Amino acid sequence: MRVMDVSIMAAGPWTAALLGMLGAEVIKVEPPAGDGTRWVAPTQKGMGTNYMSMNVNKKDIVLDFKKAEDRATALELAATCDVFVQNFRVGVIERLGLDYESLRKVNPDIVYCAISGFGEVGPLAKAGCADYIMQAYSGFARLNGAPGETLEAFRFTGFLDLTTASVATEAVLAALLERAMGGSGQKVEVSMLEAALEIQATRIAEYLGGGLIPAPRGSESPGIVPDRAFATLDDEVFVTAHNDAEFAGFCRALERPQLAADPRFLSNRLRVEHREALFAEVAPVFKARPALWWQRVMQREGVACTQAFRFETFRHHQQVVMNEMIANVATRDWGTVSVAGLPWHFAQTPCGVFEAPRPGADTAAVLADLAARKSGVRA
Amino acid sequence: MSVLKKIRVVEFAEGVPGPLAALRLSDLGADVIKVETQDGDWLRHAAPALPDSHMSAAFFELNRGKRSVRLDEHLTLAALLKNADVFITDRTPEELAALGVDGIDAEPYAANPKLVRVSISFWGDQGPLRLHKGSELAAQAMAGYTRYLGSRDTPSCRLGADVACAGTGIFAVQATLAALIARAKSGTGQRVTLSLLNSLLALKSIHLAAQSDPDVYAGPRVGGANYPPERGWKTGDEPIFFAFGGSVGAEGRPGWVKFCEEAGFNSLLEDPRFDKIGRDSTGYGIHVQALRAEYEREFARYSAEELVALIRKHAGNAASYQRADHALAHPQTQALNVVREVPAANGATVRVRAFPARFSQLQPEIKGVAPALGEHTQTVAAEIRG
Repeated sequence: MRVMDVSIMAAGPWTAALLGMLGAEVIKVEPPAGDGTRWVAPTQKGMGTNYMSMNVNKKDIVLDFKKAEDRATALELAATCDVFVQNFRVGVIERLGLDYESLRKVNPDIVYCAISGFGEVGPLAKAGCADYIMQAYSGFARLNGAPGETLEAFRFTGFLDLTTASVATEAVLAALLERAMGGSGQKVEVSMLEAALEIQATRIAEYLGGGLIPAPRGSESPGIVPDRAFATLDDEVFVTAHNDAEFAGFCRALERPQLAADPRFLSNRLRVEHREALFAEVAPVFKARPALWWQRVMQREGVACTQAFRFETFRHHQQVVMNEMIANVATRDWGTVSVAGLPWHFAQTPCGVFEAPRPGADTAAVLADLAARKSGVRA
Repeated sequence: MSVLKKIRVVEFAEGVPGPLAALRLSDLGADVIKVETQDGDWLRHAAPALPDSHMSAAFFELNRGKRSVRLDEHLTLAALLKNADVFITDRTPEELAALGVDGIDAEPYAANPKLVRVSISFWGDQGPLRLHKGSELAAQAMAGYTRYLGSRDTPSCRLGADVACAGTGIFAVQATLAALIARAKSGTGQRVTLSLLNSLLALKSIHLAAQSDPDVYAGPRVGGANYPPERGWKTGDEPIFFAFGGSVGAEGRPGWVKFCEEAGFNSLLEDPRFDKIGRDSTGYGIHVQALRAEYEREFARYSAEELVALIRKHAGNAASYQRADHALAHPQTQALNVVREVPAANGATVRVRAFPARFSQLQPEIKGVAPALGEHTQTVAAEIRG
């Protein structure tokens, strides 16, 4: 499996990175000026940490699409690949001659992944996009904040970019399976907009099917009660009871078993209706003892209960370490960098996380291999 | 074309992650059998419900097109798995063994070597929290997500979207499809494990890297909890978000100058601070807070719609903060045909979202009708008996 990645920033590059983590050979093609993420702060030993995290498991070559000769090389390279990933603004790729129709002529089996902000049709098809733009546009930010507030964006850039990459990888794999079953290649279109709606799946379903207008709810959710943070004698705890059995456990842990039999709280729908009454009963109970105690007793009763963690406290947590959720990747020039571990763990398929390439490091080798392929000799 | 047309998926999972994964496989043509316990998937009982129905709206969206069975003496999980291609579950191997399914985590799975087994947990397949209960909220807290909302001195906020659950659902579809591609070559299935915590940490790869060993202090990219809530830039009406040149490169400055000239924002053009730190005063730059008041004083004369149009005209990126219901009604979202109408069991129709990507060949199906609890137990049992 061979992937050609001419995308920049995050949504496109992480799509190719995920395919690389699944074992594909990924060739990242950078313009001479470089992918802008090399300079996004913060850097680590001079290299953008954003670049290092979004371009794991790749080779890297430099081509100048302003030159006809390099565009021809790109087309030749695409002819040797199974997947092509691009996130140029709608309309630009045609000018470069690297649109799906052009690639299909030289490689009918190619799975061509085009990632856009707002989709390829419609009034905003050509509008620029970025993570915060889509947080604003898609309603994602207006779900956040204290109750009664209007919105709060996630101060954590790139989440919707990575969500888009994840949806794109899902779609590319569907097309690759189709091909593995005897089908041809095809074009796959993914937009940040549709990905941002997919990650809001439940809240949007509640609106479309149930008429519930999306709104910020602090730490609560609209669908189930209890499901929120509670102040304790020291740190907050985050507690969820999904069903009646867990709610009964919640009440036992609080030493208020009678609440489970209270007619206002007999079912989840009733608890949702009487949520303020329930919180008025239990909030003082939580406040009287420390977080550690509530974690112990809730766990004993089979109820979700945790404290908030941060990078410094979760990175060495045994749970994170044992499941290899963070990959600490040693790089040649930039020290050790922590990036996403594999999001899936296959029993058979070998997968891994390898350091991002030095820009242009593989230009000579990849082009020599391409020349050898053309002359019929595999390098 | 439906790539998964002959694929049978058995889903024994509740809530969002497993059911969302199986839904997308169903969209791609798979036949999904949903296995439920006595009270059914807890999501059935969530609020709000569909009109004139007890079924929750979220349950409908995530389970439309599936068949629901309850296990009994005529229909065992082991028998279902013998005839399946994919098994998606949030139950542990121990829980499954108690139901008579042994060796689900062995390679190969002796009872059906072709079976792809996708196992979803809250906290991971190994480790001290392996058997602890979890939730969307607990996963967000543990993955450090709640630190990037609200402020230190007020009660914590979560992301309103169910990012851990939906994110895991998307990764689970990838896992299934990758395992089916591998099976097409090897002939055997395999087990794949995922967790909510793992998914959320994967989706913050940029932040993990930013906090590794940064050369310079880069504001919210490195901290988070100590910054004020980010509510966009105030205008005459709705707040907007905007950036020139994205977060990188100086190419945005000429557009910014033209934008200020056309809007009559002379104070910004004359303020020497914009020459010095202007690049980092839009978007999510480190100097946003320092100059936000200057922008907002000028922005107050315009509506969000006017400003967004002006910024886009001069090659900047901008959007006003809108609710998801307004985003769905916006002409752009309409042009993508995101929302479709499908039938519900009682003859009514329900609006749902289509598959989140489009293909030149594959045609995802948008099936309707979510099953009543155990509705298909007898028909599926008869099918299995052959």
